[in-house]
Amino acid sequence: MSSKRIRLWDLPTRLFHWGLVLCVVASIISGQLGGNLMEWHGRIGLLIVGLVAFRLAWGLFGSTYARFAQFFPTPAKVRAYLKGEWKGHGHNPLGAFSVFGLLGLVALQVLTGLFSNDDIAFVGPLADLISRDLSNRLTGLHHLASNLLFVLIGLHLAAIAFYAHVKKENLVKPMVTGWKETAHGESAKGGGLVAFIAALLIGCCAAYGASGAWLPEPPPPPPAAETPNW
Amino acid sequence: MKSKLLLALIAITLTGTAAAQVKPEDAIKFRQSGYTFMAWNMGRIKMNVEGTYNKDEVIKAANAIQAIANSGMGALYLPGTDKGTGWEETRVKPELFTNKEGVGKVAGAFVKEANEMAKVAASGDAAAAKEQFGKLGASCKGCHDDFKIKK
Repeated sequence: MSSKRIRLWDLPTRLFHWGLVLCVVASIISGQLGGNLMEWHGRIGLLIVGLVAFRLAWGLFGSTYARFAQFFPTPAKVRAYLKGEWKGHGHNPLGAFSVFGLLGLVALQVLTGLFSNDDIAFVGPLADLISRDLSNRLTGLHHLASNLLFVLIGLHLAAIAFYAHVKKENLVKPMVTGWKETAHGESAKGGGLVAFIAALLIGCCAAYGASGAWLPEPPPPPPAAETPNW
Repeated sequence: MKSKLLLALIAITLTGTAAAQVKPEDAIKFRQSGYTFMAWNMGRIKMNVEGTYNKDEVIKAANAIQAIANSGMGALYLPGTDKGTGWEETRVKPELFTNKEGVGKVAGAFVKEANEMAKVAASGDAAAAKEQFGKLGASCKGCHDDFKIKK
């Protein structure tokens, strides 16, 4: 028995994954509680913008199993998987739907969130760029999509549980250690330091863009407009 | 003639507070105006707890919110005003008219936090005001979550 292991998930992919887990949990809690936590809800949202942008870049020039092209679920691959003939590593064709679905939905959440308002005291950093009416609509979408996100997260966890108990495969461990025990297959290649720095820069730029810090300062209020003091 | 008068008299007596009742369209307008006016004052408190704290500004704003919170706005949720247009189309959910206990709870929580906000504002403690402002906002959310339609 030649016990062998391969490098499956590179460090940036794992950091992204667990960073996103923490951020999504924190954003759900802060969003549900509201009040002063809305400030944090906004900050965490910006962090998620950065994480998602990083992951999108990493999906293009990260290491083997992190690349979208490697696991893109083509009909042929899905058919093979459903017939039990899929022998690859990394995201299986159905798991790939989960990856794209979660990434897309999280992206939708942060994009709508940037333009949202809670009709109390919080507005997203870019809400001033659009009309209040549109902001209200996007807020509605933000709330609606959050329910869908709960469903997808539930499916994601259920799939992990299914693999652990029925297929006797631990999916969590490789996502922690990066290694997968397997007799065949090759370790991930590529995604070196340069690629990492490039993806990191893209993530930071996206977060900066989303923060609205580049928006021109509102013109200084005219010297305290004279209003009646009653 | 007499019977008509009598009927009118009976009608007035039966409806009791009818004299104080407003037209549905006006009721919706008053509701929306109340919330809009509170929004102005929420914004004022927010500016002060996040920027330089001006005690007087916060007191004025908190008092305004307290006054509206204690004005008995529930009276404006007349039966049949779950639909209709005031300044704009109402965004109230029909549940507000059916789930009386639930509404009472969130409305009570809001009044309590609004009263507390006014009290804290009077003390002039900026840190306490910021904290209470968060609680007040969360109590607004309590009602928005369950009884306000998201567009």
